Amino acid sequence: MNNTLKVERAKKDITQQDLAEEIGVSRQTINSIESGKYVPSTVLALKIARYFEVTVNDIFELDLED
Amino acid sequence: MKLDPIIDVPLLNRKWLPVGYAFFPLPIFILIGSVFINLDLTDYVLDIGYGCWAAGFLILNLTKEKIEDEMIKNFRLQAYHTGFFWLLSGMTAIVAIKFASSFWGASGIPISATLILFLLNAYIFFAFQYQKYIAAKDSKTT
Repeated sequence: MNNTLKVERAKKDITQQDLAEEIGVSRQTINSIESGKYVPSTVLALKIARYFEVTVNDIFELDLED
Repeated sequence: MKLDPIIDVPLLNRKWLPVGYAFFPLPIFILIGSVFINLDLTDYVLDIGYGCWAAGFLILNLTKEKIEDEMIKNFRLQAYHTGFFWLLSGMTAIVAIKFASSFWGASGIPISATLILFLLNAYIFFAFQYQKYIAAKDSKTT
């Protein structure tokens, strides 16, 4: 699963820690999602999308391995 | 998603962490104490050690993390899965060695319930800590 979380974060100029606090997870979780090591649940993906005011599809997309 | 109360495992408050760690040196104090009151615990040394360490690891495994998010829950599930697999692999190896060594009259470590409890909880603990370590290491490098 690919994602543009880092890009969305850069657009809003917020740190991993800020985002983590906003959506109620740890900074390690945000980092793991950004690096593609952790695939978030639907609920967390929706929370992230809502925070950035975009759809889940705008941030997350399936890659060839999925 | 709310879990059915029958299968939900409530986690302990973080105030329990020192209690968990206190169990690790406890066997030494029990053995020293037994010398002072002339209580012979020679036959129970291994069980006391394994039992105390199993209790310590159990408390640490059941204690909440600072931030209990879904990745931590995922790590915990994987740790129980991995811990159980390591226990089965280790037990199979111990039983096989014991069985093989019985042919030439040797005897290995006695397998007891406290040993199994200790190994299971220790494996779960280390599998969980390993995943946390990898996640923390990755987040430091990026």
